[in-house]
Amino acid sequence: MSKRLFSVLVAALAVALFAAPSFAASVKIAVAAPFTGAAAPYGDNVKAGVQIKVDEINAAGGINGNKLEVVWMDEQCDPKEAATVAPKIAQDKSILAVVGHVCSSAHLAALPNYVRAGVAAISPTATNVAISEKNQDRAGKVWSFRNVYRDDFQGVFMARYAKNMLGLNSVAVFYENNDYGIGLKDAFSAEAKKIGLNVVGEEAYVKGAQDFAPQLTKFRAANPEGIFISGYYGEGALIASQAKQLGMDVVKLGGEGLDNVDYIKLARDAAEKTYVAVPFIEDVASPEAKQFIEKFKATYKRDADYMSVNAYDATGIVAEAIAKGGADREKVREAMAGFNASNPYMGIGGKTVFDEKGDCEKPAFVKMVIDGKFAAAPKQMN
Amino acid sequence: MLEQQLINGLTLGVIYALIAVGYSMVYGVIELINFAHGEIYMFGAFFCATFITVLGVPFFPAIAMAMLCCGCLGVLLDIIAYRPLRKAPRLAALITAIGMSIFLQNLAMIIWGSRPRPFPQEALPTFFRETAFSFSGVHLSWLQVFIFALTIVLMISLNLVITKTKTGTAMRALAQNQKAAALMGINVNRVISFTFLIGSSLGAVAGILVSVFYNTMYPTMGYNAGVKAFSAAVLGGIGSVPGAMIGGIVLGVAEALGAGYISSLYRDGIAYAVLIAVILFKPTGFLGKSVRQKA
Repeated sequence: MSKRLFSVLVAALAVALFAAPSFAASVKIAVAAPFTGAAAPYGDNVKAGVQIKVDEINAAGGINGNKLEVVWMDEQCDPKEAATVAPKIAQDKSILAVVGHVCSSAHLAALPNYVRAGVAAISPTATNVAISEKNQDRAGKVWSFRNVYRDDFQGVFMARYAKNMLGLNSVAVFYENNDYGIGLKDAFSAEAKKIGLNVVGEEAYVKGAQDFAPQLTKFRAANPEGIFISGYYGEGALIASQAKQLGMDVVKLGGEGLDNVDYIKLARDAAEKTYVAVPFIEDVASPEAKQFIEKFKATYKRDADYMSVNAYDATGIVAEAIAKGGADREKVREAMAGFNASNPYMGIGGKTVFDEKGDCEKPAFVKMVIDGKFAAAPKQMN
Repeated sequence: MLEQQLINGLTLGVIYALIAVGYSMVYGVIELINFAHGEIYMFGAFFCATFITVLGVPFFPAIAMAMLCCGCLGVLLDIIAYRPLRKAPRLAALITAIGMSIFLQNLAMIIWGSRPRPFPQEALPTFFRETAFSFSGVHLSWLQVFIFALTIVLMISLNLVITKTKTGTAMRALAQNQKAAALMGINVNRVISFTFLIGSSLGAVAGILVSVFYNTMYPTMGYNAGVKAFSAAVLGGIGSVPGAMIGGIVLGVAEALGAGYISSLYRDGIAYAVLIAVILFKPTGFLGKSVRQKA
């Protein structure tokens, strides 16, 4: 090494050392989401929401004077990957809490690690019911929270919407064969039976399936008025467009898994008449939320969706819990569990109040596709 | 309903057949199962869409260009990955093929991103989406007619190439005995390259047709299609080109009928059950000849 280079390095090091003390230390959180693979678009949305919140926190001086740092963990929405990522997070004692996971199956696979190691996780998007049953340790402490509604709520909501608001009498059901798809489908079908909405058939598919013509042909014989798609937008778009190809002019219904602009791009005109349940829509958003939406558009050049909003709030919840609990995983969890009816977290997606199972109640809204765009459905249900 | 299911199955089947032919040809000539063939199929779709959106090429010339590019990609694959291993144990080449498959998948992800993309529909002729025939509840779109027609044309031309041209004769000679063919003055490497060229360009067409039909393409689409087409090739008798065509169609129809009448969750299982049954009862497939073990 030349002398000159050495002295430059020393100088740089000195500058770095003197510049650093503006933050005494940094606090770390992990964000576990799919950043590659088929579900990467969801991970992008979550990342964007988290990033905006983290930047805001740090610009305002961090948490108790500490800079908030994020460790991004890619799990591809794959339970196997999630089960390898989660121990890494659990073992890194400097990570105080987790925002994630995005997919229910991944969250369920990661959960035992968080419970065992005692690190709290908050999922902005995992809606599966089983999570609330598997998130307690032996002492009955809950380690997994979510600021999104559950599938049993969402499924029931969409069944009622189909029957009462859209006046449908018969529906066919497609579901992806994973925790999210099955949970949502079960809730939908059970409620449909209760309220007299005729389910003419249920068909499962695996992720990445492309050809739905055989199942649709079978459904066509029963002449349903609607198709409930319990899965994600990629396959949902194929179901919608192949139904159209087979001459089925039906209403499409789904949970928040269909909520992605790519759904419309892939299904094209077959996307019309699609109704999607979401926890957030721009039309009824608070001024703070509108501000976030503007900032999101300016930064990422696309529209924000509920995933980014929930991720933004989840990060806020974690940050506030760390502010109260300090650099102690156990205390951070206590602080998170402390967001109850008398102490709600006020975020841009509304109030978040955790019950004893770590779940929260959120209102659902309905979006629909009109003229190639998602818009709030004219009929909303209370 | 049965008629519609048959049409669903046939559409799927001819596409499997197109991919399976590429597998079978390569296997027939150098006894290598080219597991990267599914990725060539995926590249075909992405090439075609890129030519349309970036260069503004109309649909039909874009198909031809994608065929050519994928053909060259196939030749390149052979030269880089398989040729150096020609004399190595067959397992080495097989593992290399799997490695190339993973490499190409990730390359596509880097180039085009991991999101599923729609095919540029504006470039397609408008009549594609219209219904060609609709009688007693059976729907057939012009696009499906086009898929059938193009596949038939390609298969007939392929058969002509293999049976009537000198290179085709050389390919068949190579399939019988590589050493003897070389002694007769056949340029072995050139013929193998030609085999990859033809097989890969047919795979590209299949990829294009699938992504037009479903309006979706994504970097991992080749894997499943590849495995299915491989099964089709085995079903028809690996190494036999007409066998691959029949295998593809049988597999597609079996899958559609199975998904329609038994359970859609087991559709892949049904396809593989058919495959296993054939291997158990007729190990050479429909049209395959039993290969004598070379001493």
